[in-house]
Amino acid sequence: MNKNINDAKENTTVDDLLDFDDDDPLGATAVSKKSLVIFFLIDTSGSMKGKKMGQLNTVMEELIPEIRRVGEADTDVKVAVLTFSTDVKWMYSAPISIEEFEWARLGAEGVTSMGAAFTELAARMSRNSFLNSPSLSFAPVMFLMTDGYPSDDYKSGLKALQGNSWYKFGLKAALGIGDEANDEMLAEFTGSKDTVVHAYTGGQLASMIKIIAVTASQIGSKSMTLSDETNEELSEEDVYAAKQKMLGQQIQELVGDQTDAADVPYDTGW
Amino acid sequence: MFNGFSHSVMGASHVAKGIVCQDSSAHKITDRYAVAVVADGHGSKKHFRSNIGSQCAVEATIETIERFYENADDFEANFPKNHKRIIRNIERQIVAVWNSKVMKHLEENPVTVVEKKPFKQEEFEAISPESYYGTTLIAAVAGRGFSFGVQIGDGSMVGIFEDGEAVMPMDYEEANPANITASICNTNAASMFESFYVDDKRMIALYTSTDGLYTSFGSEYDFRDYHVIVSSQLKNAEALEASVLKNITKRSHFGTEDDISFACVYDPEFAAEKADMLAEMVERNKKRAAERKAKLHTANF
Repeated sequence: MNKNINDAKENTTVDDLLDFDDDDPLGATAVSKKSLVIFFLIDTSGSMKGKKMGQLNTVMEELIPEIRRVGEADTDVKVAVLTFSTDVKWMYSAPISIEEFEWARLGAEGVTSMGAAFTELAARMSRNSFLNSPSLSFAPVMFLMTDGYPSDDYKSGLKALQGNSWYKFGLKAALGIGDEANDEMLAEFTGSKDTVVHAYTGGQLASMIKIIAVTASQIGSKSMTLSDETNEELSEEDVYAAKQKMLGQQIQELVGDQTDAADVPYDTGW
Repeated sequence: MFNGFSHSVMGASHVAKGIVCQDSSAHKITDRYAVAVVADGHGSKKHFRSNIGSQCAVEATIETIERFYENADDFEANFPKNHKRIIRNIERQIVAVWNSKVMKHLEENPVTVVEKKPFKQEEFEAISPESYYGTTLIAAVAGRGFSFGVQIGDGSMVGIFEDGEAVMPMDYEEANPANITASICNTNAASMFESFYVDDKRMIALYTSTDGLYTSFGSEYDFRDYHVIVSSQLKNAEALEASVLKNITKRSHFGTEDDISFACVYDPEFAAEKADMLAEMVERNKKRAAERKAKLHTANF
């Protein structure tokens, strides 16, 4: 039926076809790799002010090149940062490729409107909004960081989020910072205690943010269609359940190794 | 009056896994009408003959359009007045012809032991025979004074009309992760089609493509702009065709690694007449893309 392509296949190799002419107008059109969006939900309420926020800013700046390396192979990792205090605010107006992402240092003040952040995330995780890139190939990663308990009705925000398919099939992890953060509440967000960790010191904060973000990016961008155990084809539900389980296991293994006795706890003198 | 091209390239991931190309494409040019059609075989376990199913789908589409055009004068007279009903009939006919083609193939080529091997007996028995051949289908037809198209499942159809804007008249709603692509193998396939009909704008070019092309772009703007760039090159048809083949090979290789099919029908005289306008549109689109990027990279803090 399609004679032209058959002729081309007979006479041309893929290498020939990949040898591009700079003057070709089509050659200049950008090709996008498979893409993944990581959502960082960051508490910027007043209690984060000072060392916590300073350290978080530094860690996030250091983290960007590390996530960039995750995407180097065959995935374009995009980042979206949602901050919540009295108001909720996106760092940029849409997810940005990690190659072009620049961390804008955050300040901290106000109360902890986490429920509003959940509602905002639920509204943006849609093909008509932040997940509109044609090259999007993987369910998103959602990483929540907070040092306190929500000051608004987080349950109604969480309910909105739980009705979102991308949330259901995405990878979720949470980091509680200091004594006030409630791991039970964070597990309601992630759906599992295994993907909730707690940082009590600056050193732990730095290592855990990196562990969670890098591990979640690696697992999130993994193509899985067959079960390792049975070699059977997996459904979408099975793929995301397997990834979430893998994330929990790897986080727990990696976090278990992170103890630094010399580190000063956040709530000692903070 | 019409010209066209169609190409299918195999996805890099399929090459790596030793899987056959599951896409098919075709075009047909006559002096009364032109058809550009692509199909994307589902490729998953139970659709183990979807490469043949996609080939049957493009053949069924072209045969169906040929049949409707058997009496071209009558068709051209009736179609504008009754396009909704006639398009529904075309969709039903495509499904019927596809079913008869795949059933004939199955009759002549019974399922082999090797094909059955991945399934448990009860699992295999639960699969309907037409599902072995499951595929999507997107077709665009340019006629005298009108254009129309039909689509089942994912993939894209882009039209460039007299104003040079890229439009997607059958804008497929890309699914959430858990949603299922519509397929010509569904029992209610004839009711799952989307379609379009345009008779108030003169066509420069109509394009159909499987989702491997769409997913090789970072944004829908870029995807639409790509079709304007292609249209601006229609004046050099031979060079363009070689360039398209190279480009979709590159997109499959460095993009999402999926099979890509791309088919086009166009009006060469009108494309030549509008070449300067299309070149201006390409430049305008480049400026707009730069503005979008600058806006996106401004932090809100």
